[in-house]
Amino acid sequence: MNASAPAGDPFEALGDPNRRAIVEMLGSRGRSVGELADALPISRPAVSRHLRLLKEAGLVVEEAQGTRRIYSLHDQGVEAVESYLTQVWGDAVTRFRLLAENTRPTKRAKGSKRA
Amino acid sequence: MIEPLRLSYEIACAPEHAFEVWTTRVSTWWPKGHSVSGNPETCVVLEPRPGGRIFERTPDGTEIDWGEITLWNPPRRLGYLWYIKRDRNDATDVELTFVDLGDGTTRLEIVHTGWERLGAEGPAWRDANTSGWSALLPHFVAAAEG
Repeated sequence: MNASAPAGDPFEALGDPNRRAIVEMLGSRGRSVGELADALPISRPAVSRHLRLLKEAGLVVEEAQGTRRIYSLHDQGVEAVESYLTQVWGDAVTRFRLLAENTRPTKRAKGSKRA
Repeated sequence: MIEPLRLSYEIACAPEHAFEVWTTRVSTWWPKGHSVSGNPETCVVLEPRPGGRIFERTPDGTEIDWGEITLWNPPRRLGYLWYIKRDRNDATDVELTFVDLGDGTTRLEIVHTGWERLGAEGPAWRDANTSGWSALLPHFVAAAEG
């Protein structure tokens, strides 16, 4: 347990499709900025910016391998992401519940079976 | 097989009503901004029938598919392919069960599976890791955001 508390918000960090794509690519193995940039429709500087944000959010770690810097997923960050997914469903269901519990059935739902 | 994501919630209304709200008013309760376009004026449409599409319609009329209904059994069960922000080949499966608990209460059970269908990355994902990473993947989105 050597990680300090991340400065960034992992939920916010995952709010961007390019950053999600990076996280997905790092799911299989660690990669360099160049590898990521080759596979994504964005420039290397843009990839670097996204990686910095992901690092600040505690989702990604960086290590030197010779002259290259390799980025990979940070296990504890991944756990945070798991709870993020659960939260996303939870957000949707919370809103759904508010509506369902505060409205009345107007009519029989279309196509519903007879009881 | 990758472990499904399982969630369960209690809702204080009858299953019939819960099912109707879920399927016919999705645009009202779906979190704003959880869309491909990110435009808060985007409308979310679920066609309430077997094979129905789930998609967003942006203010300029562009339609972006999110999913397709594969199981339509009102008011108890609903299943759909889910590929918001992804290619349809990478779709995961969402299945909802509306359990009647009596007293006008419903337990909504959500089971999200199919993580292995993630295209080329799928097998790698499966093996990738230890901390249950597999459970999350395409779904950031989902609910996403889904």
